[in-house]
Amino acid sequence: MSGKNAELETMASTIGARAAVRPWRLMGFGYIIPSLLLLAAFFIAPLWFVGEMSLREGRLPPPGGGLWQNYERLFLDSFYFGVIGETVVLSLVVTLICILMGYPVAYFMVRHASARLYNLIIFFLIAPLLTPIIMRTFGWQVLLARRGLINEGLMSMDLISKPLSLLNSPVAVVLGLVHVLAPFMILSIASVLSGIDRRLEESARMLGASRGKTFLKITLPLSMDGLGTGAILVFMLANGSFVTLLLLGGGSLQTLPLLIYQQFNTTRDLPFAAAMSIVLLVLALVCLFFQLRLIRRKGA
Amino acid sequence: MSIKLSRRQILAGTVASSTLALAPFGPAFAQADSIVVTSYGGVWEEAIRDLFVADFEARTGGTAEIQIGGPPQWMSQIEASLDNPPIDVLVNTIDLALVAGRTGLVEKIDRSKLKNIDNIPDRFIDAVQGWGVIFDYGSAGIAYHKERVTNPPSSIKAMIDGALAGEYVLSLPGISYAPTPQMLIWSLADALGGSVDNVDPAFEALKKLQEANAVIFYGGATEFLNHLEAGEAELGIYWDGRTWSHFSTGAEWIGYINPEEGGVMNPVVVQKVVNSSDAAWEYIDSMLAPGPQLGFAEKVQYGVTNSEVVYPDWLKERITPWEDTRWPPFEAIGEAIPAWVDRWNREIGA
Amino acid sequence: MARLAEETRESWALGLVTLLFFVFLIFPIVVVVAVSFTSANYVSFPIEGFSLRWFHRIVEYEPFIDSLWVTIKVAFASTAIAVLAGVPAALYLVRWKSAVSEYLMALLLSPLSMPMIVLGLALLFYLSAIGLGISLTSLIIAHTVVGLPYIVRTVAGVYRGAPPDQEESAVILGASRWQIIRYVVLPQIKPGIFAGATFSILVSIDNLPVSFFFGSPSTSTLPVVMLSYLEHQFDPSIAAISTVQMLIALIGLIIIERFYGLRHLGTPE
Repeated sequence: MSGKNAELETMASTIGARAAVRPWRLMGFGYIIPSLLLLAAFFIAPLWFVGEMSLREGRLPPPGGGLWQNYERLFLDSFYFGVIGETVVLSLVVTLICILMGYPVAYFMVRHASARLYNLIIFFLIAPLLTPIIMRTFGWQVLLARRGLINEGLMSMDLISKPLSLLNSPVAVVLGLVHVLAPFMILSIASVLSGIDRRLEESARMLGASRGKTFLKITLPLSMDGLGTGAILVFMLANGSFVTLLLLGGGSLQTLPLLIYQQFNTTRDLPFAAAMSIVLLVLALVCLFFQLRLIRRKGA
Repeated sequence: MSIKLSRRQILAGTVASSTLALAPFGPAFAQADSIVVTSYGGVWEEAIRDLFVADFEARTGGTAEIQIGGPPQWMSQIEASLDNPPIDVLVNTIDLALVAGRTGLVEKIDRSKLKNIDNIPDRFIDAVQGWGVIFDYGSAGIAYHKERVTNPPSSIKAMIDGALAGEYVLSLPGISYAPTPQMLIWSLADALGGSVDNVDPAFEALKKLQEANAVIFYGGATEFLNHLEAGEAELGIYWDGRTWSHFSTGAEWIGYINPEEGGVMNPVVVQKVVNSSDAAWEYIDSMLAPGPQLGFAEKVQYGVTNSEVVYPDWLKERITPWEDTRWPPFEAIGEAIPAWVDRWNREIGA
Repeated sequence: MARLAEETRESWALGLVTLLFFVFLIFPIVVVVAVSFTSANYVSFPIEGFSLRWFHRIVEYEPFIDSLWVTIKVAFASTAIAVLAGVPAALYLVRWKSAVSEYLMALLLSPLSMPMIVLGLALLFYLSAIGLGISLTSLIIAHTVVGLPYIVRTVAGVYRGAPPDQEESAVILGASRWQIIRYVVLPQIKPGIFAGATFSILVSIDNLPVSFFFGSPSTSTLPVVMLSYLEHQFDPSIAAISTVQMLIALIGLIIIERFYGLRHLGTPE
């Protein structure tokens, strides 16, 4: 039995190593040039404008002023530190919930759903993204408001005596974000899951591994890339979203994108908004880099 | 209509396959014989099109295209190409109108080019320091759900006391909604004994309401109606015109109260963009003419500024006379906004 | 036999999770679709009576239809460009084993981490300065920058996990580079392109903070028009237009299904 186990381990590790064994090159460096040019011309170059803007004088300069005043205002104040922290925590929580909810759905969709059900699932994954946020919010309000379906239902069953405040809370924000971001997770995982060679799983089963063990040792590692793709997309999207927070959060959560929107819409303090954007960009890039590292290590 | 639609559909079919081939590559700059004017969408845009644009086109023979959107967007677009602005006539909120004047995006009003300006009370020009004219205004008072609030408050102060006593939940504009500094922070401070230099009473009241779980905040004008409709709140600070339009569409459960302190004046300004076509003056003149202004007021149910305009009775009951409103110190509020927003974020939440 | 039962149990359990998830996913959508068929003049739920008047309203209100076409054009054009540029880049980066490739991957994904409203403002000033100004071209460029990371990441994710033996055999058999890409690699990465293009199109259709800087009488997209519409009016036409969008998506999916098969697109060969 232990021999078989060792064999299983070897098999699992070879699977991981596979991606690395590509002895020859099909594509040349030229393949990446169009993308790099596109980003250099239309992303990096405009970024210079943002950077320059962030060094101008803001509308609420700290005493002393100076070139880096907008950044000083952000970093020398524990309030903004809290905001930065809340931004990251919210994105992490949303990403984790999307993984936990999304993986079983992706697995079902690829492995168990009939052709017709598969099509239906694709359609329903796309539908929320085609509904304007204000209408989706109305849908949530019908469900979650003080006189909404949930509260009325609970009250009529005498489970609660006073309506619960479900809207305008972090819970509503997370719910709203998971609702629109889970499809990114599910489709990312499904696209990788569908390519996994099922013979590998069969072999593991023949070597005596249980269903659970086969999943943990073979299927999960092989689908890590899809999970990673989904995690990156969901994390980044959650990290940059503000409309959901604005409409469902009611001020219960404060994140950088929301404050950036405020500077744009209410105070017209563009230099401060630019500084916050640069901070958010750097923060997101650091997270992105760690995620890429993590996926690479898990896969290899 | 049907011919137009089917042609559009055919065109779209072609476009889908060869989008880039058909795409106009040049930027859409305003042409001399045709001007670009701005408007919010929906009923507002239809009123602008049917009244001001129609009047302008009939009088001058020129054409005016309407760009739908909002002031922060339009101002950014003008700022990005000041030498050849994509917009000729800018409709603006008062705080941004003052910013636009200060930063050189718009021209001062030239009275000699506007026939109708003599019928506009001076206050509607002075409030924007001559960087445009106020052509339309709303007033922020109390809107409430008539079936759920039987004994509505008659003043802002009573409204807060009632909410603190647990009679109803308030829906108030949040800090990410652009008019909040005037319509809520200054208004509360003013009603509770403070001023533009002392907004402590406003923040204290808001904090108390929050602790009592008696308030929720809306981030956009539509949200307020949703809060009332869904039963998340019963009452709050809202616009007279929006309340009455909602009432007119059949939501007869909504009511409006002009508070004893007076509603808060919220002017809408029209401005001529720098380097724009001279035809812009003609269009602004159409926006100030009594005939089109009356039509506009009937459609959007907000007050207009030409003193020649006589409202029909049904509308007269609904529109708050501008003399009865409280005029916030717009310039001073504009200066204070960054500090207020910062304080709000720390004490109330974004 | 026991394994079959186990398989069925798994199927039922996962099916139940999926069902619960979809109840959650669909609930707000059902409300929206229901509201679009209301006979009332304003948005309320449950609806008072059935009517198609709000669909009539969106046909009647020209900016809705005009901007819907702009939205669709921009979504498809920008996604097409992003696929053409992004797929080769993803293939190369997966293959190129070097620390630099990791940085380049992060670079290609970095537009994801830029707050859209700031990216939109920066692009507006930049494109105006280089003479493109507010135009359909500018709008498509901006959306391509936003869509590119989705394509790159999904294709890279799928390709990294694809079995390399077929490619290797093809080399041994003497296939040309183009033949290998066309007959071996493309079929493998097809689900990645499908998922990435779907994301890119959806993100483009839903985009407000970038699009609104490039709005003009001829280039305003649907979200820009809807936001502005809501400033002074909240009627069920907003729900009706969401229903129309979903209908278009449904028809699109049915066409793909008829001609190609959705599942076929989502599964490598």
